[in-house]
Amino acid sequence: MPVLTIDNRKVEIEEGKTILEAAEKIGIEIPTMCFLKGFRPSTSCMICVVKVEGKAGFIPSCATIVEEGMVVQTCSQEIDLARKAALELLLSDHLGDCMGPCHVTCPANMNIPLMIRQISQGKLEDAIVTVKKDIALPAVLGRICPAPCEKACRRDSLDGGVSICLLKRYVADIDLDSKKSYLPKCKEKKNKSVAIIGAGPAGLAAAYYLAQEGYDSTIFDEHEKPGGMLQYGVPENELPRDILDKEIAQVEKLGVKFKLKTRIGTNIMLENLREDFDAVFVATGKLKDEADSMGLQTKANAIVIDFQTYQTNVPGVFSGGDAVRKRKVAVRAVADGKEACAAISQYLSGEEVTGKAKEFNTRIGKLDAEEVEKFTAGHSRESRVEPANKENGFSNDEAVKEAARCLHCDCRKPVNCKLRKYSDQYNAKPNQYKGENRSFVQLAEHSELIFEPGKCIDCGLCIEITAKAGEKTGLAFTGRGFKVRVAIPFERSILDAIKQTNTAKECVKACPTGALSFKISDSDK
Amino acid sequence: METIDLKFVDEAVERIGKGSEKVLELLQAIQGHYGYLPKEALERVCELTQITPASIAGVSTFYDQFRHSPAGKHIIHVCTGTACHVKGSDLVYDAFLRFLKIPKGEDTDSDKLFTVEKIACLGCCTLAPAVQIGPVTYGHLTSEAVPNVISDYLKYEESRASQKGRGGGIESHPTKKDFAGEIRLGLGSCCVARGSGKLREALDQVLKETGLNLAIKRVGCVGMCFQTPLLEVVMPDNKSYLYARVEPEDAKAIITKHFKVGLARKLVDSTSVLLDRVLTDKQREPVTRYEINVRENEVADFLDRQVHIATEYGGVLDPVDIDEYIEKDGFAAMQKCLSEPEPRNIISQIEQSGLRGRGGAGFPTHLKWTAVRNAKTDSIKYIVCNGDEGDPGAFMDRMLMESYPYRIIEGMVIAAYSVGANEGYLYIRAEYPLALKRIKNAIENCKKRGYLGDNILQSGFSLNLNIMPGAGAFVCGEETALMASIEGRRGMPRYRPPYPATSGLWGKPTLINNVETYCVVPWIIRNGAESFAKHGTGRSKGTKVFALAGKIANGGLIEVPMGISVRTIIEDIGGGIGGGLKLKAVQIGGPSGGCVPEHLSHTSVDYETLKDVGAMMGSGGMVALDETDCMVDIARYFLVFTQDQSCGKCTFCRIGTKRMLEILERLCSGQGKKTDIQDLENLAKIIQNSSMCALGKTAPNPVLSTIKYFREEYEAHIEKRCPAGKCKAMITYSVTDDCIGCTLCAQHCPVEAIAMAPYQKHEIDTEKCIRCGGCKNVCPDNAVKVQ
Repeated sequence: MPVLTIDNRKVEIEEGKTILEAAEKIGIEIPTMCFLKGFRPSTSCMICVVKVEGKAGFIPSCATIVEEGMVVQTCSQEIDLARKAALELLLSDHLGDCMGPCHVTCPANMNIPLMIRQISQGKLEDAIVTVKKDIALPAVLGRICPAPCEKACRRDSLDGGVSICLLKRYVADIDLDSKKSYLPKCKEKKNKSVAIIGAGPAGLAAAYYLAQEGYDSTIFDEHEKPGGMLQYGVPENELPRDILDKEIAQVEKLGVKFKLKTRIGTNIMLENLREDFDAVFVATGKLKDEADSMGLQTKANAIVIDFQTYQTNVPGVFSGGDAVRKRKVAVRAVADGKEACAAISQYLSGEEVTGKAKEFNTRIGKLDAEEVEKFTAGHSRESRVEPANKENGFSNDEAVKEAARCLHCDCRKPVNCKLRKYSDQYNAKPNQYKGENRSFVQLAEHSELIFEPGKCIDCGLCIEITAKAGEKTGLAFTGRGFKVRVAIPFERSILDAIKQTNTAKECVKACPTGALSFKISDSDK
Repeated sequence: METIDLKFVDEAVERIGKGSEKVLELLQAIQGHYGYLPKEALERVCELTQITPASIAGVSTFYDQFRHSPAGKHIIHVCTGTACHVKGSDLVYDAFLRFLKIPKGEDTDSDKLFTVEKIACLGCCTLAPAVQIGPVTYGHLTSEAVPNVISDYLKYEESRASQKGRGGGIESHPTKKDFAGEIRLGLGSCCVARGSGKLREALDQVLKETGLNLAIKRVGCVGMCFQTPLLEVVMPDNKSYLYARVEPEDAKAIITKHFKVGLARKLVDSTSVLLDRVLTDKQREPVTRYEINVRENEVADFLDRQVHIATEYGGVLDPVDIDEYIEKDGFAAMQKCLSEPEPRNIISQIEQSGLRGRGGAGFPTHLKWTAVRNAKTDSIKYIVCNGDEGDPGAFMDRMLMESYPYRIIEGMVIAAYSVGANEGYLYIRAEYPLALKRIKNAIENCKKRGYLGDNILQSGFSLNLNIMPGAGAFVCGEETALMASIEGRRGMPRYRPPYPATSGLWGKPTLINNVETYCVVPWIIRNGAESFAKHGTGRSKGTKVFALAGKIANGGLIEVPMGISVRTIIEDIGGGIGGGLKLKAVQIGGPSGGCVPEHLSHTSVDYETLKDVGAMMGSGGMVALDETDCMVDIARYFLVFTQDQSCGKCTFCRIGTKRMLEILERLCSGQGKKTDIQDLENLAKIIQNSSMCALGKTAPNPVLSTIKYFREEYEAHIEKRCPAGKCKAMITYSVTDDCIGCTLCAQHCPVEAIAMAPYQKHEIDTEKCIRCGGCKNVCPDNAVKVQ
């Protein structure tokens, strides 16, 4: 049996095995998207490249048979760059949205399409979890959010964007009114505490998420009641205060303490808080003058922070919300609270403070008229539902009907897409290479499967699987060069191509992207 | 929709077979019969055979030969090979579309009479720009010639229809003996395209009229494409006279000059008439249709520097005549080898000769043979001849196959015996019908004489050879792709190792060599390894056949010793650039190669040195470029080619070359960005280092070598200038004060961008102008300027 060295470790493996298999044997993971056990390597994606001593260039490990004495390196800066280049080239010819445009546009980055599907399926208890994962005060925002997400909705130019804001309000209202309103599970207490200055949307959100992370927090506010601008700025006809109070109560239930009628700088100094607490989050709202800054660095009436980590110039002091921004939007403030929490958690656990990681995303961008036609095929053609009673928001029927208008722009494999996973891992930029790209096509005749060739990276696994399964029609590579596509022979339907349920399952599982996916994805089940 | 008679499909399946590997052959038969691949016919194939819909969908969309929609009655194949490209094939292509009024995005005229298709390379580079319609090839075309081509072809069709069943033609064999003399005529496909077929007919007619008993002998390529049709008169005393650029109407005069007939007087008169016409006829090119002496400078230079090994007996040997081949020592090497009890001794002779693969990479031949010889097999070993000469701008293998089919077969038998292979294939481009025909014919003749088949010459050794016509895919020149193609799959390369030597055709050990490699083997055996090794340089021994084309005075097929300089080839053999222009660079090695700039033309032609300067031996295409050629356009041209021909399997080649091409297209259309050169270099490096096969790894070479030597041209394109005046988006045509108002330009402008203005200076409407160059070509006073 040949013995070779991989990353300075010796490994012995049967003759005829590949470098990829040898690496796996000693627990070294080499990324690959087109290789599947039981099939011949296709050397298509080329992200499995490694360096082999004495051989020029990069070598695809999935197809290279081990040799006695081979010296292999699977990880280095230049290898990473080659893998990154392969991923970036693939991304330049990959047409799909990882996250729906609404999701990307939402300042709080809420998974809107998932919430909508949960509404469609009547799973409101799941829907509130989806909502509150990113928005601490959804009943409030369901009334006052300017809803940029609705402008980003693919239906906006067609027959009006999906009424996302009202749907969110619907989910939140039902939850607030129920006897067992949703309370997130909090992690075990970590015995560290955070002082939050300001009980407005940013402060409340920070406290809400810090509590879930196991941190104690105390909110200081100069007013009598918590809520900040929501309490004292927004007209009551827009935001009934009982709704605000109820939603704040949900935050309080997580153990958050409030010290009201306490003004920092007057009653207590920032210095004291820094001594008494492990970290401080300054969310005082709009600064009136420089004096409000408590000695923090300011510029044009805003506290200077690193927008990725929310750190101020003073160690352990973070800031967010209107205190740091020119444009004042409640949803942005709520988002700041959540994101600052991520940074504060890192700070408190002694990790490097990098802030909340951005989820990797590719975007389809603008579709042409023909593509919009294909995109909307098979979806509800109803125009936007207006609630019969504006004050009450959506009724159940209205909400379900409106939810049905969602086009499911987001990927059905947001988690198990290998292209996304590795692109994220290797820091690949979707727009590094620009040029001709695939067009949008969706084949949805199949009862379970959906085939989106725009997302395909030509790995060919589905072709091999259908052939092995003895599918009569199966799938095939067609064309040459850049125009190579996985296609259904004789322009037959996807129903002919994949007849057996098992083949469908295998194909979806093997497909490294969302090109072949189940109509109802695992994350929706 | 018409219903399609599927009886042909049933018959084809019966004849060809039902195995899954028969898919290419069946598709070729169906395409041949229906002119395209009707869906019903394909469905029928699936019903009758083991071939799956997936296999048909994959294969039929991979090869250029196949169409999925009906074509016009005649298909016009416009060659877009390198030589044709630099001589304006794009303009010719556009002119065909315009003349036939074919709308944008379509390829067939409204009468369904003509379909216009681009073809990678016809391998008739010295005729550039060339087109092929049915069996007829037209060369040296310009946009203006298009109407004439169409009408000539229609006439040809008419006459062919009326002469149906006449038989004979250029492949018929002389039957009479005891001739009074011999007339040798090159009848390779480029010679035929330049009129030797018609000349042959004229000669037949003259013999019939005069009753002279002369043998008209077809001979293989002489290589002097610039002189064709070339006719050699051999007198009984073996004295010979060579005539160049002979027209059919000259046949009578030439024959009667050498052979006496009763009507002598009258015919002598006509000879002088001919000479008068030759001297005064202005419509023709500068006249060189005269008796040429081999010692004459131009011809002597062309021949003197050459060494004929692969092309031994060029211009003498009848390619079809097995007896003549045997007379000229044919099969002697094979007999010698078959009686050699220890095949290893043959391989060691090959080793001593220093022979390296002539397909491009230059891998030592003996190592390959030894590997196959040593490979273990449970059943059989294969031998394959790679005749898929796909390089645009190359036609060596076509000429070798057309001229020396027996030599190639002999070389294969020797190789097969040396490695122990008993079954073999010759994979030959379908674009080379004459090569296919002659090889097929040669195989049959060899079988009849016992030179092929079971128990060859009672040696106990058997070899069966089959022909596999390619279907139009450059990547099939890559050995693993070629084998996939023979197995009836898409021609997609796979990662090596395992090399074909251990796991080749159907997983069996397979020897695969290029046409030229096999072609020199008999010579080496007969003359000894030392005789071969005495030519060439340290590591590149022997000779190499090159196809010399492009902007060159005397283009043709040449065989030169390795180590000769690029300059010697271009200036001495090729006679320089001509037309008062200067050599700019020589493109060597096609899409995998690069450009050797003029200032490096002292470069020695051998594997290592060419690689060092950023070019590559490749299979032997050599295209000369002059000052009017834009190097960015050349790089773009090759990327268009490789991107289209990429099998599409690996990311770097499929998408990477596309992204490079997009940058080059941007540059050529005047939309370059400052970062473009850097981006090209970065992408090129990634693709070179990481692509799966040689096609991808070498695809960036033409770009890198032109950036290396002509960076300032790239920079000019970023500034929206094309110094060579080639890139359409950056040039304008205008009329200078030299205009005499003859109106010719206005008459020829296909888009009415020039208003008729007799006796006045004409003007070109830049908005309407499509930059076809028509006006410049017809202007008698050179008053059209390109800026």
